[in-house]
Amino acid sequence: MIVKDWCSYCGECAGICPKNIIEVKEYSLVFDEKECSRCEICVKACPLNALEME
Amino acid sequence: MIETDVLVIGAGPAGSSAAKHAAKGGAKVILIDKKSEIGSPKRCAEGISNNGLENLGITPNPKYIAKKIDGCRLVSPSGTDVWLTTEEIELPETGYTLERKVFDKFMAMDAAREGAEIKIKTLAKSLKKEGDSVILTCEHMGESFEIKAKIIIAADGPESHVSRWAGLKNVTKAKNMESGIQFEMCGVEFERENIIEFYFGSCAPGGYAWIFPKDDDIANVGLAVIAEDTDKSAYEHLKEFVANCPATQNAQAVELNVGGDPVGGLVKDLYGDNILVCGDAAGQVNPLTGGGIISGMNGGMYAGQVAARSIEEGDYSSKFLKEYEEIVDKELGKEMHKYLKVKEYALSLPDDELDSIADAFQDMDFEKISTTEIVKNLVKVSPKALLKLGKLI
Ligand SMILES: Cc1cc2nc3c(=O)[nH]c(=O)nc-3n(C[C@H](O)[C@H](O)[C@H](O)COP(=O)(O)OP(=O)(O)OC[C@H]3O[C@@H](n4cnc5c(N)ncnc54)[C@H](O)[C@@H]3O)c2cc1C
Repeated sequence: MIVKDWCSYCGECAGICPKNIIEVKEYSLVFDEKECSRCEICVKACPLNALEME
Repeated sequence: MIETDVLVIGAGPAGSSAAKHAAKGGAKVILIDKKSEIGSPKRCAEGISNNGLENLGITPNPKYIAKKIDGCRLVSPSGTDVWLTTEEIELPETGYTLERKVFDKFMAMDAAREGAEIKIKTLAKSLKKEGDSVILTCEHMGESFEIKAKIIIAADGPESHVSRWAGLKNVTKAKNMESGIQFEMCGVEFERENIIEFYFGSCAPGGYAWIFPKDDDIANVGLAVIAEDTDKSAYEHLKEFVANCPATQNAQAVELNVGGDPVGGLVKDLYGDNILVCGDAAGQVNPLTGGGIISGMNGGMYAGQVAARSIEEGDYSSKFLKEYEEIVDKELGKEMHKYLKVKEYALSLPDDELDSIADAFQDMDFEKISTTEIVKNLVKVSPKALLKLGKLI
């Protein structure tokens, strides 16, 4: 997952991730890429369009 | 290893309330939050009702009250508006806008004064069960450590990792998570002072737009959408709204806020062995308005109180903790269910039906406002709309 630098770490993506694999630190997002099923629900929901699937 | 009776994860309004009441009930409490500054950045329009705080036993402090609110203005897609203010009608309740960055800190301080220990910049990473306790792995500035607790209270907001780590089935579906976005702006031109404004229709698919005043020309101007219901991002909707709304055309943004708001009602599992869930993490949000400060703090209070009793009894089983669900269902659940129905109805109306309803309500005598009056008006403007409402209720 590409996290754009305008992400504001609000955590909405983490909340709707069906696999619960997005860790939201204060100033970074960490995806457990191995577990990601590439459903892109997070990409679609981001209020700032800050996520892009690689 | 650090040991405690109750470990609260998340120092938002819900977590601080839970920590305060668990400590008040005699438990040893630790409250952690990953943030450097509790309450910041804000992810909220900051509106609350008047008696919300008082019912929680909190005397509102002027340091976190931005503005007193006397009513609201509802605006339909064509711009037709309905005013529900103390001028028109005796309102059952009015409210305030808060300064959340101050408010959230004050709530955490209340918890500290009851005896809770607070750890900021402390991120919860994972959870495991050990005997009749739970062990949480945390991270603080690169250092990893564990906290052992008899009960954990998951108050980690819309992210809601913790309850899912514990195996509870609390998934927020995308269709129930509003994508919220907001500018704090100055130079906002209000038609009347002290009024919160709501804008409905295609400006915010799946949600609504709002203007919540914080001072003479300052307001939170935002909206929430359901991502599935629109092809544009929430940010694009906000820019369009601000450019088109007469009140904000000349306003300047000084802050951008974003966040998810779970509006699908209470989650399935509010408790389990050694765990209680409260606040946004538990879906304790009014599904119609998206407001979750007061309901989350109530949920937090019940969770803290039940946790303290469970510590006192030495029983942390889900059987004991079930009492929490009973209280939440009674105090919050019924009300939320009702709002969920009203929301489904409101969202089913296209722009033109919203307009004709607003038109009809413009001529209504609010002195005589009553359910029959509302229904009569609805029949007049849109039998179809009424049919939908009937089906839902
Ligand atoms: C745009 C928008 C506008 C809103 N407007 C209003 C409004 O006008 N009125 C209203 O009543 N409600 C409003 N709400 C809803 C309201 O903001 C929430 O319901 C409220 O903040 C919920 O409180 P909480 O304590 O459950 O969660 P939060 O306030 O989200 O607090 C959760 C805390 O947990 C911490 N946390 C999360 N994960 C971890 C972890 N792994 N480790 C450590 N700490 C963690 C976070 O840092 C955060 O401080 C709005 C929401 C949005 C998004």
